[in-house]
Amino acid sequence: MKALFLGNVAADTFAGIEGELPPGLDSVVIADPQELAGSPAAAADADILVSNQWRADFPPAPRLRLVQSVATGIDLVDLAALPAGATVCNAFGHETAIAEFIVMAMLALHHRFFEIAGEFRERGSWRSSWVESGVPHGEVRGSTLGIVGYGRVGREVARRAAPFGVRILAANRTPRDAEPGVERVFPLADLDRMLPLCDTVALCTALGPETTGLIDARRLHLVKPGAFLINISRGQVIDEDAVYAALRDRTIGGAALDVWWQYPDAAEPNRRGSRHPFHELPNVIVTPHNSGWTGGMVRRRWDEIADNINRFARGDKLINVVTTI
Amino acid sequence: MKTLFLGSFGGRPGISDAILAKTTAKIDASVLFDLDDTQRLIPALADAEIVVSHIWKKDFPEAPRLKLLQSVAAGIDLIDVPSLPAGVTVCNVAGHEQAIAEYVVMTMLAWQHRLLDIAAAFRGGVWSTGGGAGGGPTHGEILGKTIGIVGYGRIGREVAQRMVGFGCTVIGANRSPVADKGAASEIYPLSELDRMLPRCDVVVIAAGLGPETTRLIDAGRLGLMKPSAFVVNIGRAAIIDEEALYNALKDNRIGGAAIDVWWQYPTPAEPNRRGSQLPFHDLPNVIMTPHCSSATDGARDRRFGTVAGNLDRFARGETLHNVVLTT
Repeated sequence: MKALFLGNVAADTFAGIEGELPPGLDSVVIADPQELAGSPAAAADADILVSNQWRADFPPAPRLRLVQSVATGIDLVDLAALPAGATVCNAFGHETAIAEFIVMAMLALHHRFFEIAGEFRERGSWRSSWVESGVPHGEVRGSTLGIVGYGRVGREVARRAAPFGVRILAANRTPRDAEPGVERVFPLADLDRMLPLCDTVALCTALGPETTGLIDARRLHLVKPGAFLINISRGQVIDEDAVYAALRDRTIGGAALDVWWQYPDAAEPNRRGSRHPFHELPNVIVTPHNSGWTGGMVRRRWDEIADNINRFARGDKLINVVTTI
Repeated sequence: MKTLFLGSFGGRPGISDAILAKTTAKIDASVLFDLDDTQRLIPALADAEIVVSHIWKKDFPEAPRLKLLQSVAAGIDLIDVPSLPAGVTVCNVAGHEQAIAEYVVMTMLAWQHRLLDIAAAFRGGVWSTGGGAGGGPTHGEILGKTIGIVGYGRIGREVAQRMVGFGCTVIGANRSPVADKGAASEIYPLSELDRMLPRCDVVVIAAGLGPETTRLIDAGRLGLMKPSAFVVNIGRAAIIDEEALYNALKDNRIGGAAIDVWWQYPTPAEPNRRGSQLPFHDLPNVIMTPHCSSATDGARDRRFGTVAGNLDRFARGETLHNVVLTT
């Protein structure tokens, strides 16, 4: 049985799980997908592909039966280019880490953490101190959090936020039962009824036709004045121009943005995430699409991938199946 | 009912006004910010039945009619109890514990997730400080971590309640036995602190300042902590040995610290005075804030409500809340 680990993340994964792979599995690691064209046999012989991508212009891989994504999203896998009979699986392990990020960002925005800690370190400013009776900052207790996309991440957020005394609402495309601590799950179609209730809106939805541009100028005006927006899903869920204007003009209070409208590439490794200068706005916390990228997440994900490869080798039922071609 | 709002908390007009707005009793209020203004302090204290202040100094003028000293803070370490006249009830306020618990969770998350560093680098255009899209190193998480709370009172319980959802284990150490350990799994006697410290990924200092806790965290106890340990101090600065903490952080013998309470405070002459004689602000592994963990709008509202409620209760002759002691 042969496996192809393709791409940087897959190469790291191989290094992390090599000792857990089935005996007799013959693995080929190609970190740079551009080099696959020079090794067509690696594709032609592979029973298993471990990667975050597959394209129609890659060499043919007619034997593939397991396509194990190293990520949750399979938007870089061209399903039409896979042979019939291949089962596509994805991987998780990120949801608890991202939930931590969302609660952290919500706290940091309400507590004005960057402003207060920054000016105290830089110039010894005590103006926000209790001692100086400065302008108080906010707290999350008693505020309302709206979770858009009540899936794995959204549920983990709710479990963590509820003990803070936060009122939690959610919106989801398909009907879902509210877990304890969640007051109500709105249909996504009723999002406009949920937004005016929210002090914080956390976007945890997948990118799809219903969610592209979901948070547009009109909806940014529906949230409470001063409300905070947290995006860990995909940049395209928010209208880039509208959110920049809302943040610049303080129509909303602030944002924590981890996902972007454009990404770096080899030619431009420090490319900005947007055509607008979000990095110049003091009310925005910007992070480089790393909210889930914890050491624990990597370990959990590797464990899932190793488990699935072993299941495949034994002929057992696979986990995290997305589709079978 | 003569009431004197005194000092830098109680005697700040914005604060006294906010408290008075919440009272229903008729209160004859005077306000004095400057404790050293003896000319005004003597007659004000001579008349006052109630003083709203977090400070009482040994050399204060006589206050023969004083019955209630109502602090606007939780700690009464700045109140010199022996110099109070007999028959005075000292009350404090609560309502800060939820805000401080939020701060504690925020700073331990920010530390594990390297939030300040990654966000600052990315603001400068660098993706690779964080993992994921930037291809940089992974950061930490708090899932599965052990949080040790030194001084397990109201704040400790509020922290514990919030940590459980994150999959953390919470343990604590307290001077007196704890009847309600809340979400914590184990409470050590403070005398056995040295057994608790080596277990902790995060050590939260939430104790009051007193003889048993002054310099409780010294070089020896910092040495008992894990090399990766993160110390959060929202109690009082003097609980930690200033130089020992600085050296432990500078030499990376502990992982990092979030410091909200300081060994020295600003003065009118030096409004931007640093909180320590040592340059903590030059250390990259320190999250530092200006004694503001409790300075939320909600905590202020709850505290002022407690003070106003006690003024009303005093006026009606009812039992006071938050009584610390009676002289």
